[in-house]
Amino acid sequence: MNSSKHFSVIVRVWRQAGPVEPGKMVSYKVANVSPDMSFLEMLDILNDSLLKKNEAPVAFESDCREGICGTCGLVVNGDVHGPDEHSTVCQLHMRRFRDGDVITVEPWRVKAFPVLKDLVVDRSALDRMMAAGGFISVNTGAAPEANSIPVEKDKAEEAMDAAACIGCGACVASCPNGAAMLFTGAKISQLALLPQGGPERAARALSMVAAMDKEGFGNCTNEYECEAVCPKQVKVANIARMNREFLLANLFSKR
Amino acid sequence: MDITFVKRLITTSIGRKAVMAVSGLLLGGFMLVHLAENLLLFKGEASYNAWVDLLLSNPVTPLLEVGLLGVFIAHIITGAWVRLEDFLNAPRGYEARKWQGGRTIGSATMLYTAAGILAYLAYHLLTFRFVDHSMGFYQMVTSAFRSPVFVTIYIAGSLALALHLSHGMQSAFQTLGVNHPKYTPLIKAGGLLVAVTMTGFALISLYYLAGIDLKAAEAGYQVVVIQ
Repeated sequence: MNSSKHFSVIVRVWRQAGPVEPGKMVSYKVANVSPDMSFLEMLDILNDSLLKKNEAPVAFESDCREGICGTCGLVVNGDVHGPDEHSTVCQLHMRRFRDGDVITVEPWRVKAFPVLKDLVVDRSALDRMMAAGGFISVNTGAAPEANSIPVEKDKAEEAMDAAACIGCGACVASCPNGAAMLFTGAKISQLALLPQGGPERAARALSMVAAMDKEGFGNCTNEYECEAVCPKQVKVANIARMNREFLLANLFSKR
Repeated sequence: MDITFVKRLITTSIGRKAVMAVSGLLLGGFMLVHLAENLLLFKGEASYNAWVDLLLSNPVTPLLEVGLLGVFIAHIITGAWVRLEDFLNAPRGYEARKWQGGRTIGSATMLYTAAGILAYLAYHLLTFRFVDHSMGFYQMVTSAFRSPVFVTIYIAGSLALALHLSHGMQSAFQTLGVNHPKYTPLIKAGGLLVAVTMTGFALISLYYLAGIDLKAAEAGYQVVVIQ
């Protein structure tokens, strides 16, 4: 098991017992790390050793561990989702590190995402925004005949690219202002671009922006740090579309 | 009467940003016109003073001045409001933080360049607007431009403006929802061009500080502006 390729790292990780407890950075040595391990597997090993010592394991979230669910999300050495471009932190592997490296691991430090425990934050603000309008209300029934509603190829592609958003919150965590406009822009766009989203376009733009404002996010200052870290490469053109949808809905809808 | 749609321009994040963007674009347009007017200095004392007289004798000018003040106040209030919210909601407490290349010097310093421009504007109004104009506007401007202290402050002001617009111009279009693969590269280049153009203010002041106009006159040359 202890092959010559194995190495050890020092993990400096944010420990916080509960939402209102004070937190601090704690260093742990993790030995026997294989370069083939994922970063989260390395944390699993750390937690195993903590459990064996009767200490509380480091709480962190993950689900699919294949970069498609949006559950995981950590700031590794100052990089949102780790140093690899356009990937979630579960896709980060230990081969990116060397023996003796000190790795700083922090949660999203966003006001609207309060820390629940250690590295776990409460991202339900995003769910509440979805509940405010990120849906279509019509009964879609069974899958319709594919060609009965024509959709322009480019629009379909753009809608799909916006729908790639996995709601991980990295855009907010990386934003200098803690704005959630890339997320909201993607969610408004994916439906605004398709005919099925048409009937509720104006209402959706107005109510989702209102819900976003209510949650205590910052404002977009068009610096595009979000686009740079987004694991799904959601484009800031979606923010412009949200602005357009909102401003036009405000001016021309009856709401 | 339902004025919710007007209220939303003040009460929502995107509404406030839109007001900031529209007022910012108007102010940018004003600065371009202002620079064009300054170029009239090169045409000589008579032409410059004639233009200023024409402006001051026009009854619409005071209205435009009030309008400009209104646009300026709208830009300052919405800008300050947006930044205050950003300050309150910004992610805080990262031990290490790396920017990923989205930020530019211009975008990261918007608040500071804004404060610089505002401070400069106060100085500008105190030295040019609310003073005795009996010596004539051309004399007032060119004599100020021969003062190293004035020109230093003037150049600092125009550089702050250039940096502010390097982010502000293209940002305003994005905020108003104008983002298109065909036009966005042009808008970004155009915004930078407008920003760089603002250094023209500094160049004009340096022209007079170096006394190039006097040397040219001594040498018998005249600056001729082609009509």
